[in-house]
Amino acid sequence: MSDDETPDKPGFSRRTFLRGSAGGAALTGLITLSGKAHAAKTPPVVGPSAVPIKLDVNGAVREVKIEPRTTLVSALRDQLKLTGTKVGCDRGACGACTVHLDGVPALACTTLAIEVGERKVTTIEGLAKGDTLHPVQQAFVEHDAMQCGFCTPGMVMSCAALLAQTPKPDRVEIRQAVSGNLCRCGTYPKVFTAVMAASGQPAEGWTLETRGVGDGKAPPTGTAWVGIAGGSVTPEPRTVPPGEAAPWPTSVGLSVVGKPATRLDGRAKVTGAAKYTSDIQLPKMLHGKRVVSPHAHALVKRVDTAKAERLAGVKAVFVVKVQEGATLVDPSTEQNGKFPRIRYAGQCVAAVAATTPEIADAAARLIEVDYEVLPAAIGLTAARAPNAPLVYPGPVNLGGSAGGGGAAKGLPQRANVRGPTEQVNGNVEEALAKAPIKVTGEFATQVQTHSAMETHGIVADWGPAGLTVYVSTQGTATVRDELATVFGLPKTKVRVVCEHMGGGFGAKFGAGHFGVVAVELSRRAKAPVRLMLDRREEHTSVGNRPSTVQDITIGANADGSLAALDLVSHGSSGIATGAGVGWAAMRMYPAPAQRTRQHDVFMHTGPGAAFRAPGMPQGVFALEQLIEELAERLKIDSLDLRDRLDVDKPGGVAAEADRIARKLERRIGADRIGWKTRGAPGAGKGPIKYGIGVAQSMWRRIVDMNSACEVRLHRDGSVQLRSSVMDIGTGTRTALAMVVAEDLGLSPADISVEIGDTRWPIGPASGGSKTLVGITPAVRQATHEVKQKLLAAAAHKLGVATTDVRVERGKLSAAGKSLAWKQACAALPTEEVAAIASRPADWNGPKADGYGGVQFAQVQVDTETGVVRVLKVVAVQECGRLINPLAVQSQINGGIIHGISYALFEDRVVDRATGRVLNANLDQYKVLGARDTPFIDIVLLDQYVGLTNTDAHGIGEPANVATAAAIANAVYHAIGVRIRELPMTPRTVLAALGRTGKVVRS
Amino acid sequence: MKPFEWVQPSTVAEAIAALEHPGAMALAGGVDLLDRMKERLETPSRLVSLRKLSELGAIRVEGGVARIGANVTLAQLASDVELRASHPIVGEAAGHAATPQLRAMATLGGNLAQRPRCWYFRSEAFHCRKKGGVTCFAQTGENELHAIYNNKTCASTHPSTIVTALLALGAKVAIAGKQGKQREVLLDQLFVAPETDVKRELDLAPGELVTSISIPPSKLKTAYTKQVAKQSFDWPIVDCAVALQMTGNKCESARIVLGAVAPNPLRATAAERAVAGKVVDETTAREAARAMTAIASPLTDNAYKVPIVETVIARTIVAAARAS
Repeated sequence: MSDDETPDKPGFSRRTFLRGSAGGAALTGLITLSGKAHAAKTPPVVGPSAVPIKLDVNGAVREVKIEPRTTLVSALRDQLKLTGTKVGCDRGACGACTVHLDGVPALACTTLAIEVGERKVTTIEGLAKGDTLHPVQQAFVEHDAMQCGFCTPGMVMSCAALLAQTPKPDRVEIRQAVSGNLCRCGTYPKVFTAVMAASGQPAEGWTLETRGVGDGKAPPTGTAWVGIAGGSVTPEPRTVPPGEAAPWPTSVGLSVVGKPATRLDGRAKVTGAAKYTSDIQLPKMLHGKRVVSPHAHALVKRVDTAKAERLAGVKAVFVVKVQEGATLVDPSTEQNGKFPRIRYAGQCVAAVAATTPEIADAAARLIEVDYEVLPAAIGLTAARAPNAPLVYPGPVNLGGSAGGGGAAKGLPQRANVRGPTEQVNGNVEEALAKAPIKVTGEFATQVQTHSAMETHGIVADWGPAGLTVYVSTQGTATVRDELATVFGLPKTKVRVVCEHMGGGFGAKFGAGHFGVVAVELSRRAKAPVRLMLDRREEHTSVGNRPSTVQDITIGANADGSLAALDLVSHGSSGIATGAGVGWAAMRMYPAPAQRTRQHDVFMHTGPGAAFRAPGMPQGVFALEQLIEELAERLKIDSLDLRDRLDVDKPGGVAAEADRIARKLERRIGADRIGWKTRGAPGAGKGPIKYGIGVAQSMWRRIVDMNSACEVRLHRDGSVQLRSSVMDIGTGTRTALAMVVAEDLGLSPADISVEIGDTRWPIGPASGGSKTLVGITPAVRQATHEVKQKLLAAAAHKLGVATTDVRVERGKLSAAGKSLAWKQACAALPTEEVAAIASRPADWNGPKADGYGGVQFAQVQVDTETGVVRVLKVVAVQECGRLINPLAVQSQINGGIIHGISYALFEDRVVDRATGRVLNANLDQYKVLGARDTPFIDIVLLDQYVGLTNTDAHGIGEPANVATAAAIANAVYHAIGVRIRELPMTPRTVLAALGRTGKVVRS
Repeated sequence: MKPFEWVQPSTVAEAIAALEHPGAMALAGGVDLLDRMKERLETPSRLVSLRKLSELGAIRVEGGVARIGANVTLAQLASDVELRASHPIVGEAAGHAATPQLRAMATLGGNLAQRPRCWYFRSEAFHCRKKGGVTCFAQTGENELHAIYNNKTCASTHPSTIVTALLALGAKVAIAGKQGKQREVLLDQLFVAPETDVKRELDLAPGELVTSISIPPSKLKTAYTKQVAKQSFDWPIVDCAVALQMTGNKCESARIVLGAVAPNPLRATAAERAVAGKVVDETTAREAARAMTAIASPLTDNAYKVPIVETVIARTIVAAARAS
């Protein structure tokens, strides 16, 4: 059932006879060296300064001037301006820089340009023939084998090399071929599918079924459709304000929305044409480099920048004077001297800007810093101790940067423990005492780093007319607003641009400390400065999912209803806050008495940041395992128990809809995974055991009213959509085009979508799975207003009343007459008509607590090695009205893949003695790759809540919440022992099985 | 990286002469060396490119003896049909290593010469024993990936998986030196114990270069296991190569090699002695494995490796006995 039970195959097809020397010359005889001394010639010495060399790149001989130390990727990107090849880690671990040398995949970051020699270099830019895409590129676009697109060029190169060697690879060979290409967005399933398709083979194993509901008719006036596929859909009364776009019919009655659409930016991503922040090259651009502290807790006594300033090519040097992280409520409680206190290893002390990255690096090394090293609080247990070294000597007011609860102002703070944030219903102690059944457990989860394939980075251009920054961000307006505040500029003088970004997952909001540093360097140097963080900095200083330790007790009655739920959690977001996990505990299962007490534990490590469903994978990992334990104790099937628990949910109509949805999802998923075939836990024979587990998720529907856009229609029939909203790989660009196209009778490709620029109306930041919830109603509204003007113009031309005119596919018609689209537009009274719309408020309907889904996982556990492998995941999810099922499938694949990686592999390891991150790379920080990808079977239920003119919801986070818990429950089913700790590494599993000592976490 | 000169000789003799320059290092595929240079672990003033040394690029199997030039890539090792027939576990180990791109770039010589992945060694911020300091930080620090044998001086592990297979087959290394000198040693003897000299892993004098590996004819029954936690690209928890001299289902003698559990590739002699003379089955294989794990000396965080090593030795012995 698993793809690679067969032994590993050779790097190329086993049918290949690949012999010959690395040097390309003919074989000699035996490898002997003659005894006679050769008249050893002295080959010419090249460098260290730059020399011109010739490289055969994409079929043309190019000259570049390189030093011996220049890597091929640098020569390609910086000199030849072939920016399609990306730098993900610069250490040969991620594959983003994959090119071909004589047709063979090679890593350009780990190849010196001078070593290439006569070998032919092919980059992503060289694959297509003119306008004709390579079959792999074409298949990637058709099958949506990309999201943010940053790994895509490297991925395509590996696949193209595979097909050149092996025209009909099997799935094992495909997985193998891309096993060196990391994709953090989780596109592997689509990559496999695309390669199978490109090689003319059927693709199986990753399926999507969308289920619709309703008859496609418009709802009666004064109503909107409410319901979910698998149930029924009814028209519910709603008041739509006059002038607003009317409710849509159910999607089977729509032409574009709800049907799979390939990405508008697909071609740009597969050809390497899409430009990311590090691809931006401005005239006279300088390169920034930070100096960071090697100590976790220290006072900076002296910073001497003199040598750096004297180095030729250095244009600005800057010493950090403003404290990073929280500010103390009472700053007098800390004596720091002239410089900010260092609170984590990796904290920025100074920065330089120079004409080349090499000079900037050399200059950074010339800056002398004297530290007084202080004891540090490292490790959750150590940091919680009352006598631990203090991160903050007194209270700090710091919003939750990690998104999870527990970060309100004014919370009590004792030593490094801040909190509790307390939520209480009823009397938990009493209810627990009376409850006949109790289940309890302590659960621990690790620190996870976001590890997007594109690191954080910015190009800051401080000019006389204002500040322009190009930055890898999820929210252009969040960057603008922060920089405007920090530098005292009006927002009108700050422009933020991000056309494409290589993944964020929550870590890329706001300017970041490094962003402020880059702007400051640009201001001082009076030139643009590019500052891209390297992979070490990425793991260390720009965010992570906080760790947790959770103690939960559930009290239940004999009939299965819950009596009480009590949660105490501690977690560390390093120097920041936001380690809360309590939302799931309070909201997923009703109990008359509930209490959560959540604490942040400060530690001398890098700050946490919101990470794909903050607090939720952690909280659900604990909660859903306890629910399983409860079901086992009650001797009832846990799906039946959840049915029972849902009945108790308060909240009227909205809760009822939620209950119907979740029950449906449980049943569909159970059927598809083979739930009824499960035996008893741990019952399998032999050391290799199999298990099936379930978990469900909920996510809040978050509405960002700062969601605006502009739609412009021109007399030639062309249409523009503009907003500052970002597409972070989810497919927002295409979804917005689909919404516009639907109402104008066009295709998505007819819409020119311009996003990611704060010059345009400000849209929501892309996070919280709230992007489409926020922006699509604004898009429909702006389209509606523009459409009214077009209808009027068409009516005038046709000599009919405006109300008689209908938009159909490609034309406008009334009373038997029609105008083609372009004809109608030509009749517009002005050269263009445009409308800027802000998101209309939600309609007056009941709102559910959130929305959700259910996931089932099938795992294999080798009880002798402790290795867990996920074989299959079934996900049944709802996310409102589906706009683009193809993109939703990619997001769910991605969320599941994140969840598996979090459950099994990832762990930020910090040296307990010094607080330094030890695995700040992509080989020892383990991110799931192609060969760890299970089969994924998705069922999407179209859902209508009747709250907006699109009813679109996000899916990025809902898809990630339940996965780790489902795997944990599956592992329990396989081995009969519960794992209450993440990640479920061989070490953890063997400890749970009693085959090795208990893991003691520091 | 710091600036350096670059020179590309055409013969081994030229290469050795070029390596005499102070601060010179040999560059093969560059997979590990460039990584170390970017981390400032090494700052050679000169790189001597070995890429044009065509005499180092061949695989020949003649009379059952396999000779593999130091420049042969791991991808070539994995896909060479004759080598798969004569000594299957070499290609198998090579095929499991790293990633497709790295296998296409990495050479056999570089693979032998690669340095440990210990995260204290690899970080500029820790001046450990291997870099001339006085402390092995892993012993009291984060050592979940570190050695469970011979770890008193240094707890790093040798990361080459190819070496595990080669050692089980009794491979020899040909080394060229100054003035045309050559020597050949058993691969076992190439590694330097930390107690002898913690600052280096290979017993090569300045100016010496590994030119080829030769593997004697093998009538042995062999098997290889690379035990990872993650399938797509993972350093091994342990890897194991077993070569059995069998008569029927009885093992006359065994060579069992463990990688990733000691600073040098480790001959599991306790297991070898335990299985010699026995009929090989799951029980005797497990007993032999236990003989080896009984003498493990894990650190604070890596005791979990012990049961895994036991399982991997046992399974690999059984697999070898069943090999055709």
